[in-house]
Amino acid sequence: MKKIGLLSLVFMMFAGVLAACSSDDSSADSSGDSTDDHVTLVWYLIGTPQQDTEMVMEEVNKYTKEKINTSIDLKLLDWGEFGDRMQVITTSGEEYDIAFSSSWANNYSLNARRGAFVGLNDLMDEYGKEMKELIDPAFLEGAQIDGELYAVPTNKEVGQQAVLSFNNELVEKHGLDLSTVNSIEDLEPLLAVIKENEPGVTPIATFDAHLPFDSVLQGELPFAFRLDGNTDEVINKYEEDITMETLKTMHEYYKKGYIAQDAATSTDSWPLETPNWFVRKELYQPYAESVWSRSAGYEIVTRPLEEPHIFNGSVTGSMQAISATSKHPERAMMFLNLLNSDPYLRNLLDKGIEGTHYEENEDGTIKHLPARIDNFNMPSFAIGNQFLLKLYEDDPEDKWEAFEEFNANSTPSPVLGFYFDSNPVRTEIAALSNVASEFSPALLKGAVDPEEYLPAFNKKLEEAGMQKVMDEIQKQYDEWKENQ
Amino acid sequence: MKKLKQFGKNLYDNRIWLLMILPGFIWLIVMKYIPMFGQIIAFKDFRFHPDGFFASVFHSEWVGLENFQFLFSTNDAFIITRNTLLYNIVFIVVGLILAVAVAIILSELTKQKLAKVYQTGMLFPHFLSWVVVSYFVFAFLSMDKGLFNNVLGFFNIDPVAWYNEPDYWPYFITVISQWKGVGFSSIVYLAAIVGIDRTHYEAAMIDGANKWQQIRHVTIPMIMPLIVILTILNIGSIFSADFGLFYQIPRDSGPLYSVTNVIDTYVYRGLMTMGDIGMSTAAGLYQATVGFVLILLTNYIVRKIDEENALF
Repeated sequence: MKKIGLLSLVFMMFAGVLAACSSDDSSADSSGDSTDDHVTLVWYLIGTPQQDTEMVMEEVNKYTKEKINTSIDLKLLDWGEFGDRMQVITTSGEEYDIAFSSSWANNYSLNARRGAFVGLNDLMDEYGKEMKELIDPAFLEGAQIDGELYAVPTNKEVGQQAVLSFNNELVEKHGLDLSTVNSIEDLEPLLAVIKENEPGVTPIATFDAHLPFDSVLQGELPFAFRLDGNTDEVINKYEEDITMETLKTMHEYYKKGYIAQDAATSTDSWPLETPNWFVRKELYQPYAESVWSRSAGYEIVTRPLEEPHIFNGSVTGSMQAISATSKHPERAMMFLNLLNSDPYLRNLLDKGIEGTHYEENEDGTIKHLPARIDNFNMPSFAIGNQFLLKLYEDDPEDKWEAFEEFNANSTPSPVLGFYFDSNPVRTEIAALSNVASEFSPALLKGAVDPEEYLPAFNKKLEEAGMQKVMDEIQKQYDEWKENQ
Repeated sequence: MKKLKQFGKNLYDNRIWLLMILPGFIWLIVMKYIPMFGQIIAFKDFRFHPDGFFASVFHSEWVGLENFQFLFSTNDAFIITRNTLLYNIVFIVVGLILAVAVAIILSELTKQKLAKVYQTGMLFPHFLSWVVVSYFVFAFLSMDKGLFNNVLGFFNIDPVAWYNEPDYWPYFITVISQWKGVGFSSIVYLAAIVGIDRTHYEAAMIDGANKWQQIRHVTIPMIMPLIVILTILNIGSIFSADFGLFYQIPRDSGPLYSVTNVIDTYVYRGLMTMGDIGMSTAAGLYQATVGFVLILLTNYIVRKIDEENALF
C-alpha cells in the first residue's frame, strides 16, 4: 500500500511536469499571406551577445511592424556554443522560426536531411521575389539538396580561394621576391632567409597543408573529389601522390624549424597584431589585404595558392534557415526577404543606429562611433546580403563590384550541389572520424614524417571501413549525376 | 483503508523531514527519471518532426541495435574499453588509499588552523576546470618552453616531445587526476573520522595502543562501511571516463590516443561531425547498463563477505 501511494505521487508529479513542458499558447492560425495578425518571430543568430541589441531591435521592430506587421526576437548565441545549443534546441523540438545555419556551425545539410528545416522553394517564389533577384544564382543553385533549397544563403563572395599572406615588413626588410611563389614548395628559399636572420620570428604561422581537392564531409576525413582530371570518382585524398609530396615538404619545413615545434597540438591562434610570423594561409575575398592590414597595424600582402572555386562549403558558408517547428514560415520568409533586399533594415541590423553607432558622411560612406565597436559589434557576414551594406570611408569605392567580379570568375567545383547523405554509413563514419583525428592534424601540420605515418593512416582507415563509405558515396554521386 | 490512513499519518508525522528531502526528490525525478524515457532513442534512427520532441521520437524508425555498432566495430573498441576500465580501476584504488590517508593525516594534525590551510589547499584544484588544468600541465610539458624540458636541458639531456610519447601518459593522467580529486574525496572520510567517538581512542590508549595501532584497529574499521559504500558507487561509473581529463589534458594529441582514448572521447570524436543523437544515447545507455550490472555484482560479493557493509 505504501508503495502504491508513492507511485501515484510520482505519476502525479510526472504528469505535472509534462504539462508544464508542453504548454504553448499557439494562437497560430494566421494562415497564408495576410499580415493582418501581428506575430513575433524567434531568430537564433551566431555571434557574441551585444549590449545594445535591445536598443537596436526596438528600431528594427518599429520598421518591420510597419512593413510586414512582424516583430523579431533576436537571440544571439556565442560563437563557441552556437552549434551545441542549436543541436539541443532542434532536438528538443523547441518552437523557433529562423536560425543561422552553415557548413561549419548548425550543419546545413545534416539538419535539412533530418527534417529540421522547411523546404523553401515555394515560399521563396511567393514571398522572396526581391531577394531572389539580388542573390547570386550560384548560391541559390549550389545550396539545393536534391532540388530543394532549405536555407537562404547570404549573398557574399561565392568562391573560396586559399592564399598565402605575408608580413610585408619582413618581405621588404630582406628584399624578398614574392612573384615566384605559387605553392607551398616555392616558399623554401624565403623561409630559409627568415629563419637565419629573424630569431624572434616563427616563419610559418601554423597552417594545414593545402590540398587541391573538394572534400566530402569535413576536411579531416579522406573522402574527396579531384578538381580536375577524373572528377567523377570519389578518392581517398591521403593516397594521392600530391598529398605525399606536399606533406613531405611540410615535414621538411618542420624539421628545419620553420614550423613551431608544438604545431600538432597547439591551439595558438597567431593573432595578426603580433608580428611574430612571416607567412600564413588564409581564405581570400576581394580587398582582404586591406582588411587584414587594418587589423594588423602593418602591411600584409598575398599570393594565391589556387584559382577561386565554388565549393559546397562556400555556398553554404552562411545561411538563414526556417525551422520545421515554426508556426509562421510565410512571415519568416517575408522577413528574410526584407532583410536581404532592404538596405535600411540590413544596415540597421548590422551597423546599428545612425548617430549612436555610426556617422554618415556626405558622400554616403560611414565611419564607426565607439559604441559600434563596444556595444554593437555584429557578425556582418552571418546576417544577410553583404552587397547592401554601406561602405566605410576607407573602403575602396568599387568594393562590391569587385566582389561581383570575383564571383563571376570563380569556377564551380565538379561536385557542387552534391550533398552526401551519411546516414547509411554512420557507424563507419564514427570510427573513421576517430582515425582521422588521430592522424590528420599531425600530418597536415608537418609534425610527423608522412613516409611513415601516411601508410599507417591509410591502413587504419581501411580497417575502419573506408571502402564501404567510398562505395556509398560513389553510389549516391552516380545517382545525383544522372539527375543533373 | 486502514493502511492508507496509516500511510497518511506517517506522511504527516514526518512532514518536516519529507519537506526537507522534497527538493532533492523533485530534482531526481525531473533530471534522472523523466529523461529515462529518452533511452528509446538509442534504438531509433532519430529524425525531426515539426510537432516537437515526442513526435520526433515516435515517428523515428526503429533500427534495433544499429546505433550500438560503432562502439564495437573496430580495433579501437578494445583499446577504448581497456583504457576506460584500467584507468578507472587505478583511480578507484589509488584514489581510495590517498583519500583515506589524507583524511587520517588531517584528523591527526594537532594544529587545527594549519589543518584547515592544508585542507583548503588540497581542495582547491577540485574547483578548476580541466581546460585551466590543461594549461598548467602545458606549462610543464611544452616542447620548447616547458619546465620539464628546461630542467632536462640544464642537465644536458635532449628535450622530450611529451605530447608525442605515449609511454609517460598513464602516469601523468593518474597523477593529475588524483591531484585534482583527492582533496574533495577526503572530505567525506574526514567527516566520518571526526565523528568517531573519542572514547574508542581513549580505550585503545589505555590498552597501550600506539598511534599506528589506533589507526589500524579503530579508525579504519570505523569508516569501513563508508569505504565500501563509496567504492561500490564508484564502480557504477567504471565505464564512464572523465571527458575533460582525457581530452583536454593531452591536448587531443593523436600520437597519444593509444593511451588516452576512452569511451567518452571516442564517442565525442566519432559523433562530433554528425551529431547523431541516437548513437550518443546508445553509448550512454551502454555505459550505464554495464555500470549498473557491476554495482549489483559488487554488492552481491560484498554481501557474501559481510552483510553489514552491503549497500542494499
